[in-house]
Amino acid sequence: MNLTVMVGDMKTGAAGDTIVTHALGSCLGLVVYDPVLKIGGLLHAMLPLSSINPEKAQANPAMFVDTGVPLLFRSLYEQGALKSRLQVKAAGCGAPMGRNEVFKIGERNYTVLKKLLWKNNILLAAEDVGGSQSRTLHFDLATGEVVVASNGTRKPL
Amino acid sequence: MRLEEITRSVDTLPAMGGAALRVLALIEDAQASAARIEKALREDPGVTANLLRLANSAYFGIPSRIGSLRQAVSLLGLRRVTQMVVAACAAAVLQRPVEGYDLPAGELWRHSLAVSVAAEGLVRELGIGAGEEIFTAALLHDVGKIVLGRFVCEEMARIEAALGRGLTFEEAETAALGVDHAAVGADLLARWALPADIVYAVRWHHDPDRAPASHPMLDVVHVANVLCRMIGIGLGREGLQTEPSETVTRRLGVGTGHLERVASRTLQWANELAQALAA
Repeated sequence: MNLTVMVGDMKTGAAGDTIVTHALGSCLGLVVYDPVLKIGGLLHAMLPLSSINPEKAQANPAMFVDTGVPLLFRSLYEQGALKSRLQVKAAGCGAPMGRNEVFKIGERNYTVLKKLLWKNNILLAAEDVGGSQSRTLHFDLATGEVVVASNGTRKPL
Repeated sequence: MRLEEITRSVDTLPAMGGAALRVLALIEDAQASAARIEKALREDPGVTANLLRLANSAYFGIPSRIGSLRQAVSLLGLRRVTQMVVAACAAAVLQRPVEGYDLPAGELWRHSLAVSVAAEGLVRELGIGAGEEIFTAALLHDVGKIVLGRFVCEEMARIEAALGRGLTFEEAETAALGVDHAAVGADLLARWALPADIVYAVRWHHDPDRAPASHPMLDVVHVANVLCRMIGIGLGREGLQTEPSETVTRRLGVGTGHLERVASRTLQWANELAQALAA
């Protein structure tokens, strides 16, 4: 099945599925894959911390990095994924050009992700973060392959 | 060369619709009334139908169902209804796919609505005044793209080269075409006789530091536009290749927390408003 993850959304799937998310700007795109079970999931989180809008976080935990990332891992553990096997990849977290500190939401998304992973002893296998281009992620659950497409170029992550 | 072609293209673009122009003429008219708006819309039942769909969207906060223009005016006020007429008329143009900017059908419309919602959210969050027509200024800020898209597409190689030199997308437009979408949009809106502060905000929305004078409406549209692109609404080919002004963020007193709170509320409203007029 072809699954599409919208902004503030998370989906999991298995071999035979592909998961796509479009238009990653400052948002975090996080891919987690268990290569033995060939299951995985993709999160497209908009903002770093759920405390900015607890009501929204309750209704939609995937909107925030601090609630969305645990949600993605838990969903996969419930399906039998093992932490020691997980491959974790991150993309997005971009920023507009210039040095305006007010717009550093992408950097904050990345920092909160890194803190969460560090606390749980999980390393990023690959990342394509920062910069000012829009990114689209294609995740093939049969192989675990992730492709980042941006302005007509495609490269594996 | 290109600039002349672009100007000719602005000349030949059909106006937004007679209904919008007739109602817009009422914006600054103290005598405007529900009866006069009704009269202006009489020959345009489609616009009235779209207006009522928008008026019943949860964003505008009226719990009961609005069934007529008169009811909309009494519950939402004349100014809000006028904004909805403009939105109902602009939808037809803004819902089209925009080549060059890589925006599929509906995406420029969703972006435009998101910037309106985010702009009004920022005004509330910061407790500032930014002019009553901020919704309309935000809604129409990218209207120039519908004219410029074809030229951006044709000159993409030169635009890419300019981007490679570190220019913002709108600077690259000017380098390749002699004009950017903000200037083209302002030109278009001036011809459509929109109020001067709306035209001004659209003209300088990417470059508020070069505007002859500061204007809170311009400042808020500038910030709201960048914010909506950051959260992935209307990113397209431009991505985040734009530079938000530090003078503007200082002047507004806006911080990251304000932006994040507004962002957390914007996506859902924008999607709901976009769906209200979806086919």
